[in-house]
Amino acid sequence: MSVALRRRQAFKVMIGLGGTAASAMLPGPAQAERTAARSAESTTEEHPAHPVAPPDAIAMLYDNTICTGCKACMPACNEANSLPTDTLLSGGIWDMPLGLNAKTKNIVEPYQDPQTDEFAFVKKQCMHCLDPACVTGCLFGALVKQDLGAVTWNSSLCIGCRYCEVACPFEVPQFQWQNWNPKIVKCEFCYDQRLKEDLQPACTAACPTGTVIFGKRSDLLAQAKERISTAPDKYFEKRVYGEYEAGGTQVLYLSSVSLQKIGLPKLGSTSIGHYATKVTSVIYKWLVGPVVVAGIFGFFIRRNWDRHESERLEHEEKTGYPDQL
Amino acid sequence: MTTTEPTADKRGTTLINHWQCGVPVTQGPVLTPFLLLLIGIAALGLALAAIRFFSPLGPFSGMNDVYAWGIWKTFNVMTLTALGSGPLALGMAAWVFNRQKLHVVMRTALVSGFLFYATGLIALGFDVGRPWNFYSALMPWRWNSESAMLEISICMPLYCAVFLSFEILPLILERVYYTGNERARVILCRVAPMVRKAYPFVIVGAYVIPLMHQSSLGGLLLLAGTKMNPLWQSPVLPLLYLVAAALCGFAFTILLLMIVCLRYSRDLDAGILAELANLLSGVCFVFLAVRLSDLIWREQLRTAFAFDRMSLLFLVESGLILIPALALRFQRIRETPRALLNMSALACLGGMLYRFIPTSIAYMPARSTAYFPSAPELVMAAGYIALGSVAFVLVINYFAVLPGEASAWNHTFRPFGWPRKAAESSPVMPDATGVTLERGI
Ligand code: SF4
Ligand code: SF4
Repeated sequence: MSVALRRRQAFKVMIGLGGTAASAMLPGPAQAERTAARSAESTTEEHPAHPVAPPDAIAMLYDNTICTGCKACMPACNEANSLPTDTLLSGGIWDMPLGLNAKTKNIVEPYQDPQTDEFAFVKKQCMHCLDPACVTGCLFGALVKQDLGAVTWNSSLCIGCRYCEVACPFEVPQFQWQNWNPKIVKCEFCYDQRLKEDLQPACTAACPTGTVIFGKRSDLLAQAKERISTAPDKYFEKRVYGEYEAGGTQVLYLSSVSLQKIGLPKLGSTSIGHYATKVTSVIYKWLVGPVVVAGIFGFFIRRNWDRHESERLEHEEKTGYPDQL
Repeated sequence: MTTTEPTADKRGTTLINHWQCGVPVTQGPVLTPFLLLLIGIAALGLALAAIRFFSPLGPFSGMNDVYAWGIWKTFNVMTLTALGSGPLALGMAAWVFNRQKLHVVMRTALVSGFLFYATGLIALGFDVGRPWNFYSALMPWRWNSESAMLEISICMPLYCAVFLSFEILPLILERVYYTGNERARVILCRVAPMVRKAYPFVIVGAYVIPLMHQSSLGGLLLLAGTKMNPLWQSPVLPLLYLVAAALCGFAFTILLLMIVCLRYSRDLDAGILAELANLLSGVCFVFLAVRLSDLIWREQLRTAFAFDRMSLLFLVESGLILIPALALRFQRIRETPRALLNMSALACLGGMLYRFIPTSIAYMPARSTAYFPSAPELVMAAGYIALGSVAFVLVINYFAVLPGEASAWNHTFRPFGWPRKAAESSPVMPDATGVTLERGI
């Protein structure tokens, strides 16, 4: 589904570029595709404010009331993604990242309140947003929302502009600052390595306690809500983080302590892609805005140009000085 | 072009002359110690940039994954292309709104704008991590049409390399015409009418495209969402970025004209500067009106006047724009060189602050990390700016850029010690010889 969407976007640009002249010269198939694209667009908005997960969307559910902080998922992730260990802090012995970084796509971070003895863990990786800001911003489509909903990165399309890092509300994509051929490092739901072979991601497969589990998003959401209804006092705000955050994500969280304290940002329920493109998508649709503005400018510039020319000739005749543009 | 009437000098200062066309700087040495210093900085910056090309970004910058954009993007591109929007602002006024007077200062704006864009693009080229993949720009089916970044990375080079260059073309052709040999002239006589024919059509693009990418620069930041302070994060960012570009464009052109006139002890043209100042004050008011109504509409007025750190920053920024907006309403101030210089400098500063803050100071992701540009990063940024300045000084010395009296334009002036042969047959000023001048470009 998302592949078709991308084709259509690209086509839109091509049509827009050629402008009206091209569409006049390209009858038949182009015209047909154009109307088809338009009718498809009127039914499905590209960035709805509150995206709906497709029925086959997968997800991860992480419940930190179960997590023991064993970090079994971290080496599993490193192995599945052939990532090096981050041994900077431990003097070359242990994998000890301080957060997501160029060597770490998945991390379990502890949290302890300095006053009370309240503590919790949080596992961080890409949230695989339903309408990812990073994908909306990436200029040549290096980041793509694949089928099942995994957000993956393609090295041959990325120019290393790092806009995805600015756009991601969860600060997930990381850039290899120390590499001449830098890559964007982010969790890709083990799409190529495992999902394609019908295996679940390495982290959920490795988790010994069932803290992080893999499944259909609709199923996991239902399961999470059931856990809340059986033990409502156990869960902070009695809600599933990720159900609506930034338009909804495909990683869901249940937490016993404040979500903001464990580093999950407070976000509205509107998709960020919707916020960023709701005006521009109207102006730039089929490049209508720029073409209209060009028409208006063209009219005035032509008129003023003619005036300028006649004055130029007059001035030149009178003074003998040539005029400059 | 209209002949401007000499303005009566009401303040007893030097504001008398009237500008009629572009003239080159012909007096004084070109290679001053200051220029040599600038060349040194530019060389250092470019040398570092060259080394950076063979090295990862890490050792060259203080950037990190939280502040993934450093000053190359936030200052050299975001901020300085606003100053480089002079051609957009003045050209819109001159060509679209028929302010004929302004044609005479267009060249100054065009050259400075071109250099800001060109150096900004160089900065970008060394900032991106995987520049070799940029060839995708030539393949429209790969474009993600909803990305503001795409719009910028396609439109900025296109504008700079095609439309802005075309707008400047007469300047270069004219130089070649007056200094070249007979063959070049024959060719140019054939080319010039074509350029003239195409001109009004091509420059339409030169105004539409910067409108698009200057607003997209603001549009970029919409995706940053809640990571940006609510005083700056707003759906009208694209519009404000565009208005700020016009504001900086006008302010910087006034500033540049006045500085250059002071430096080369030229006369100022009160009429044209006052007109620019008038437009500048208008744009400042538009900016403030949009900014204020946006804050009211988003109910952020209380935050704006909370007098904490961010609110003070906001107040300074708005104050820097409000003062010139008000002051330049008075004719007396518009026609006092010193006041005009100060006011346009303030407006420049205010506009630059507005363009700089959202990506730097007001950009506050939750992860606590600090970013301060490292030494090589600063040197490279300074190098790009120095490069632009050096190029500007050279261009105004060898090309007819700065506004002046038509009679001050000496066509026989030979740049680079080009052979004198053609000079003898080249047309000279009518009042000197009585020969009618051949038409150039
Ligand atoms: S969490 Fe960030 S990187 Fe992951 S899909 Fe969402 S926006 Fe993209
Ligand atoms: S850094 Fe690469 S993946 Fe990220 S937005 Fe830029 S091109 Fe896309």
